[in-house]
Amino acid sequence: MTRPPSPLSMRPRPIWVLFGLVTFAVLVAPLPGAAGAATREIALDATQFEFAPGRVHVNRGDRVVITLTASDVVHGFYLDGYGLERRVEPGITEQIAFTADKPGKFRFRCAVSCGPLHPFMIGELIVERNTPYWRAVGVVLVAAAGMLVHLWQSGKTRSSQEVINGTG
Amino acid sequence: MERREVAAWVAVGLIVIGLPSAVLGYQHWLRLAAAEQRVIDIQAYAPERGGFAPDAIRVAVNEPVTLRFAAMDVTHGVALGPGLGVDLGHIDPGKVKEISLTFDRPGTYTYYCNTWCGPDHWRMRGTIQVIDPANPDLLPAAQPDPVIAALIAEGVDIDAQHDAGRKHGDAPALIIERPPSAQRGATLFGSVTIPPEVSDPAWRRSHPPAHVLELLRQTNRQAPQADLIDVVAYLWTTDTAPETLAAAESLYNKNCAACHGQTGGGDGPAAGTTAEKPVAFADAAYLFERRSDVLYAKIRRGGMGTDMPNFGTLFTPEETWALVEYLWTLPVSALPEPR
Repeated sequence: MTRPPSPLSMRPRPIWVLFGLVTFAVLVAPLPGAAGAATREIALDATQFEFAPGRVHVNRGDRVVITLTASDVVHGFYLDGYGLERRVEPGITEQIAFTADKPGKFRFRCAVSCGPLHPFMIGELIVERNTPYWRAVGVVLVAAAGMLVHLWQSGKTRSSQEVINGTG
Repeated sequence: MERREVAAWVAVGLIVIGLPSAVLGYQHWLRLAAAEQRVIDIQAYAPERGGFAPDAIRVAVNEPVTLRFAAMDVTHGVALGPGLGVDLGHIDPGKVKEISLTFDRPGTYTYYCNTWCGPDHWRMRGTIQVIDPANPDLLPAAQPDPVIAALIAEGVDIDAQHDAGRKHGDAPALIIERPPSAQRGATLFGSVTIPPEVSDPAWRRSHPPAHVLELLRQTNRQAPQADLIDVVAYLWTTDTAPETLAAAESLYNKNCAACHGQTGGGDGPAAGTTAEKPVAFADAAYLFERRSDVLYAKIRRGGMGTDMPNFGTLFTPEETWALVEYLWTLPVSALPEPR
């Protein structure tokens, strides 16, 4: 099962140049919607017995600036996981700034007893994966594809048994 | 009955009857009886659920008394006035704050909520009548406010001022192109001819800035209108000490911001609940047509039919004047350097 060695085997084949370009593109291409670490300004209003908006999406690494207001009675804001707490009075705006450096889903809840349904006054902060994460996924996929191509190219010149054994 | 059975009955009786009576007896009788001075428990409910309970108390002159305020539903804030300088701050539900004080002369005082707690928040008030034990039926009559009396004598209709000439939000008679800067006004001050009466703070209190602008325009025909507005802004914000202004700001944030907005935009969270839209003090074209003494009268007496409450029973005249001075800073972009 011997075949003549490929004349191109001693210099980079065009396919590897292509893989290099794809890897580079995955690393630097701007992704739609998910920019790098940004400042996210969020206006959060507390009323009996909800936060508006009730669900907040940010990306990991974002600088989050929450402008907190209360519309009826005194409320509070406590963010699980980050341990931030603030009290907010109707009429007086409060600002909370932090960096969303922990990924995952965190609940924020009213921290000042505000009425019968106060325990159910809960919202969610969802810290999503950021751009470097998706770039890393892309690089891994490209590497996996490159591995398959490499095996396929080697298989043309060597038997599959030789490739697996690393001999020949 | 066996002895053990009797012992069991005694134990059950102690738990069922003895324990509650010990707890309640201490709370309602023993604690008050053992206290060295009179203790008055006041429960604070949102006004829709009754406000303060009790909402009127009587104490004697020179009688030491402790007031214990407990918030029962939402967060309230309790302050005492006028002129007592007592602000207990926030009281969260389930918490109790207390103040011990002695009144040294007969009179009427008010305890009031200063944290927005519902649509009727401003009704949440209680009165303290301080009586002379020798003459318990005699309470000093409320003195008429000299500023309000002077306005009435002058024929100024305090309530008509709200919409005088035009509706709030209509095209203003006074065109203000850029936010007035008192700092700029301070640098221009020397180059502008000021009529002598304008230099008198008491005169300025009874005249709107728009009137002074008219006077300045006659004496300084070559100066641009925006410069003269800056000079007027300087004149109306220069008399106040920074610490007075800081105290007035705190008072404004607690008592006014819920309707009029923290920055004077007339856009506080409760602005939609009032009969008439709260005035936007940050609107220079509107505010510059007001008089300080009318603003003072409005704060002390309230606005008829507008849902603006009266604060005359809560604040001293000095605190009210400081609030008026603070209002003048709201439409002004840069304050002059404190002197």
